[in-house]
Amino acid sequence: MFGDLKRFDNGIGSGFDWFRPWLDEIFQEGAADIRSVPRGSFPMINVGRTDDAVRVYVLAAGLAQDDLDISVQDNVLTLRGRRDALPGENESDRKRPCFRRERFDGEFVRAISLPEGIDVERAEARCHDGVFEIHLPKREELKPRRIDIQAA
Amino acid sequence: MNEVTRHEAQANVPARERRSRAMRPPVDIYEENDALFVVADMPGVTREGLNVEVDGNLLSIEGEIRIDIPEGLTATYAEAQAQRYERRFTLSHEIDTAAIEARLENGVLHLRLPRKERHRSRRIEIKAA
Repeated sequence: MFGDLKRFDNGIGSGFDWFRPWLDEIFQEGAADIRSVPRGSFPMINVGRTDDAVRVYVLAAGLAQDDLDISVQDNVLTLRGRRDALPGENESDRKRPCFRRERFDGEFVRAISLPEGIDVERAEARCHDGVFEIHLPKREELKPRRIDIQAA
Repeated sequence: MNEVTRHEAQANVPARERRSRAMRPPVDIYEENDALFVVADMPGVTREGLNVEVDGNLLSIEGEIRIDIPEGLTATYAEAQAQRYERRFTLSHEIDTAAIEARLENGVLHLRLPRKERHRSRRIEIKAA
């Protein structure tokens, strides 16, 4: 999905995570947006658009239908939720030997600004296999329109 | 480590290209009750798209993201930049590879890798002299 989009691809795999902070320090981009998040934040988000809608794909493994709160206000789409990496874990479990803990654990919030002209009333969301698809239709009057050429 | 290298060498070029476009799923690994547990985040992967394989002592986890994308969709922002996940681990000899169990739930893969019977830990009671 979106494999053709290489905007963030600098040829360095995610295996080089130790390298990135150092790299970021050297190539400082100035002030970051206050709501921007570092790479690899949970959940991953992809956004695409068609002629008549904007589609947001939220890759939130482990979340069921009721675990993600989606809201839109002033053209900002906000995603909130909680993901327990290992649900049902109690105090005694925390003492068991753990070799890796890479998965996100806890509460999260992510915000995306949307383009103008979204018809929030007709927005819909679906989920399957840990992916939430949010369909945000554009307002009718903003859809591209074909103009017929009439004979003179 | 040798196992991984050998596998890479065998792969033909297209396969290697595909591999470079795979994402590395984050994992939690812990040990409990004579088994190792591997939990991997692979959102978008269905049962049909999941492939867990053990070859010798190499465990490969692969998954294909299956999402219906409408015609004419252009990406404007993408954090997930591949259609696949892939990750490999080498197993130690005490794992009973025939008894590995896998479960997929909301895009989270749970693997249980039990230890072989004779490698299970036994508590040794200390008797009073």
